[in-house]
This record gives sequence, structure tokens and C-alpha cells, in this order.
Amino acid sequence: MGLDGQGLATDAATVQVIATIIKFVIIFILCMQVPPLMVWVERRAPALMQRRKGPNRVGIGKWRLYGLMQSLADAIKLIFKEEVVPEGANRAFYHIAPIFAVFPAFLIACAIPYGHTMQLFGYTIPLSIVDIDVGFLFIFAFSSLAVYGVTLAGWASNSKYSLLGALRASAQMISYEIPLGLSLIPIVLIFGTLDLNQIVVAQSAWIWKWGVIKAPISFLIFLICMFAETNRAPFDLAEGESELVAGFHTEFNSAKFAAFFLAEYVSMFILSLLAATIFFGGWQIPFVPYHALLVVTGGLTWLASLIGFVVLILKACFFMFLYVWVRWTLPRFRYDQLMSLGWKFMLPLGLANVFITAVVVAAIQFG
Amino acid sequence: MTQQVLFYIFAALITLCSIGVITVRNPVTAAMYLVSDLFLLAGIYAMMQAHFVAAIQILVYAGAIVVLFIFVIMLLNLGPEARQRLKIPAPELAVLVITTIAFIGVAIMMTNGQPTVPVGALTPKAVQAAGGNTYVVGMVLFTKYLWPFELSSMLILLATIASVVIAKKDKAKAVKSTRKEQTLTSPAASSDCVEAAAPASLSNGKVVHGTR
Repeated sequence: MGLDGQGLATDAATVQVIATIIKFVIIFILCMQVPPLMVWVERRAPALMQRRKGPNRVGIGKWRLYGLMQSLADAIKLIFKEEVVPEGANRAFYHIAPIFAVFPAFLIACAIPYGHTMQLFGYTIPLSIVDIDVGFLFIFAFSSLAVYGVTLAGWASNSKYSLLGALRASAQMISYEIPLGLSLIPIVLIFGTLDLNQIVVAQSAWIWKWGVIKAPISFLIFLICMFAETNRAPFDLAEGESELVAGFHTEFNSAKFAAFFLAEYVSMFILSLLAATIFFGGWQIPFVPYHALLVVTGGLTWLASLIGFVVLILKACFFMFLYVWVRWTLPRFRYDQLMSLGWKFMLPLGLANVFITAVVVAAIQFG
Repeated sequence: MTQQVLFYIFAALITLCSIGVITVRNPVTAAMYLVSDLFLLAGIYAMMQAHFVAAIQILVYAGAIVVLFIFVIMLLNLGPEARQRLKIPAPELAVLVITTIAFIGVAIMMTNGQPTVPVGALTPKAVQAAGGNTYVVGMVLFTKYLWPFELSSMLILLATIASVVIAKKDKAKAVKSTRKEQTLTSPAASSDCVEAAAPASLSNGKVVHGTR
């Protein structure tokens, strides 16, 4: 797929391009639903944990829908608010920063395999938006760009709180990117490929072949880094409302603030999808192999793919809930604790994990 | 055809961004131009079907090195640079112009005015047949070029250790001199860097930026 210089004369290539666009639009729309829903979950779930009611009023007409429309009301409020640019802000970067924050998350979404390759109208369509053989590296490359949004936002808004938040965020994100990378090397070693779709296929429906069983330490490191990379509690020092007002987005308001919200929740969702893909068999249904699923669906590959897609989303939902769960369970780290955890614990653990896995894989392959 | 058009678009943008890097007064803007530069270069790699190199390019340069640049710029709170009149004496200028024209001329003659197409054993198709980009790069890197590869990693290790040693020396002195005044135990070393930035911006009440 993609522009290969041969032109798009062939029919099949055109179909693939159209399919890519459709797939992107579907995933984009799906991702846009995540922030409102998550805001609702983030209010209702702690209310449940703390025996409160949480927002339960705003609904449609007489249906209250457990206060689900509260997020919609909030979104509308945010978008229609007056936009105030702080005095002395660097205007260009102040306006660009929210865009920088949002776009890496959506780009990463392009590399995740959402289901088994399907047959539709006689065409074979892969269910990742772009089918690249270095999906792993693609994800790393773009997740490493996420730090720019936060950094520029803090720097450009001409506020000491924002600047401190941005400095913390950039130091934190750089520090935790390294263990994140190290945690995934054992997976590459075990499955022998950088192609995410092949990793999912190799994990199969049997739970003992999943990444989390084969590389449990990797999963532990990945899980911790997931929280750190998205600046979520207990690693939300970049926001640190008790000391920094709201951290890097203190000076942002209206739609720009909403953009940071969107970026945070979408990257949480994408990392959840990634965790499910790499460690929990992706779209594989536990104990139901793909060929068995095909028998159930009567040979309809699109239906089987759709079921796989729903399964993947459900797995990701678990991680999304985990984010909220942890946020209301653990207190925030102190800055030096955060750094010593990253550099003195996670980095050596990650290196040891890579080394041991490499030795074991080599022993199995050559021994 | 598409490839050629894309190449020219990328090349033009890279040139523009490179000019931006060296002409812009604000250091953060310059660093962001550098990011776009590296990003567009990755685009050219991707166009040559070298996905592995493209991803590594973004990951290492745009995602790590320039982030550190920006981190340092923010930490030092650098303002815009003063404009200086660059004086190039006439003979030097003449040499510069002539060599530039000569270089472009030679480049055009060597390529016959056409963008070069990949020649040699590793064409995109051959790479695909051999098992993909990563596989081919890995095979070459860890067999034929293993020795230079290991040597360069030793070099990087050397630089890392050297910088740690240099940083430690200063730290030891600083700790000795401040220990007398401080009765409270200081926070861990890693938190110092951010703490240090705070007084700079707090003392004058406002963070000073280029646009003011």
C-alpha cells in the first residue's frame, strides 16, 4: 500500500487507498468518542469507589442516562468559551502546541492491527490502517514526538507554572521512553518480528502463548511506562495541581484546552490498544482460534474481523479502567522518586530483562 | 513520477527549514525548524522504501536529541539572539559563490539532471524478497560491519562516562561549598535540575520570551 511510484493505475491499489481512508475515518471517529466517555467514567468510577453518586443529572429529556450527557455539556461549554491568549505568550507556538499534542496519538493509531485480514467484495483488506512491516518502530517514533506538545505548550504560554510543568513533563517522558523501548525488545526477540499483525497472529487464541505469559517482566515495565508516558497519576507531575495550578496547560482555555484533553485520552486509549495487542493477544478471542471463529460466522471473514475488533476494544477498555482505578488508588510521586524509579530501577530491570530473554531465546534456537 | 514530485516537495521544504534553522533568532523556533527538517528527511527515507531507517530517524533525532535541545534551551531560558552584521570580505565571498556554483554544476553533471535511482543489489524489491528492511539492515550490520558497529558503541560509552565524570566533579565541589549553609538534607540529585530553573523564572516574576 502507499505511494510506490508505480502510480495508482491498478484497480486493487485504488481500492486499498479508499479502504485506508475509510479505516482512518472510522478509527478517528472512534477515538473522538473516547474523551467524553472517559471523562464520564472518570467521574462515575471514583464515585463508585468512594460511595458517592457522581454526576447523574444531565441526560436527554427525561432519560438521565446516569449523567452520561454531562461530558457532552462540558465539551460544548469548552468549545464555545471565549479564547484568551495570555499576555506575552509566544503566539505561534501557543497555537501550534495543541496540534502537536493531538497528532502523534492519531498517527500511532494507524499502525495497530484492529482485526484479522478480511475479504470484502473480492478484495483482501488488512485491518490496520497502514500495513507497515516496522509497526513497532513506527509507534515508538511517533510516541516520542508526543513530548513536543507538552513542552511547547508550557514554554509558549509565558507562565512559571506552565514552564515548570513542561520541564517536568519533558524530563519524565524522555526518562520513561527508554524503559518503554527496552520492555518491548524481549517481545521482538520472542516473536522475531517488528510487524504488529504477525505478533498478534503468533500469539494465537491460547492464553499461554500470549506476550504477558512469555514476557511478564516486560509487561510490568510497559504498564508502568504507560502511565508515565501519558502523564497520568501517579506520574502526573506535569500537571501537579497542588503545586503547579494545572501544569503545562494552565494558560490554555476553550477549544485549546479541550485539545489537550483529547490528546491525553486518545493517547491513553492508543496505549491501551497497544498493551492489548502486544501482551494480550490483540484481536484474538481466548480459546477460540480464528478458523473456529470462521466456522461460527459461516465463513464470513468480515464478521469474524468485526468480532475480533470488538474483542480488542474490550481488552483496551480494561486498561482504560485500570488508568482510572490507579488514579484514585495511588498518590502522586515526588519528582526525585519518579526519576530514581525510572533510572535506577526500571532501566536496569529492563536491560536485565532484555539480556535474559536474549540468552533464553538463543538457547532455544541454537541449543 | 509521483516519487519525483514528492522528492522535489520534500527537498524544497528541507531547504527552507534548514535556512530557518540558521536564520531565525529565537532558539526554540530554530530547534522546531530542525525537527521539521529531520522529519522531512525521514519522509525521503520512507519514499525510498527504507522504513527502518525512516522510523529510526524520527525516533532518535526528532524524538530524543532535539527534545534534549529544547529541554536545555528552556532550562537556560535563552532569549532571542542579537542580530549581528555578518561581514564576509569580498575575496572570501567570491570563493564561496564560485564553489557553490561549481558544486551544483558537478552534481548536475554527475546525475545528468535526473534524481538518481537506487542501483546495486539492494533495490526495494530485492530487500522485500530478502525478508524486509529490518532483516537486511540487521544482517549487514551484525556480520559485515560488526567491528565498526561495536567500536562506535564503545565511543558512545566513552562519551557517556566522560560526561558523567565531568558532571560529578562539579557536583562534588558545589555540594562541598553549599553544605555549610544548608542544614536540611538536599533533595536527590536528579531533582536539582528542575529546582534550579525555578528561581530564574520566579525572581523577576515573569518568564521572558522572544516575542515581547
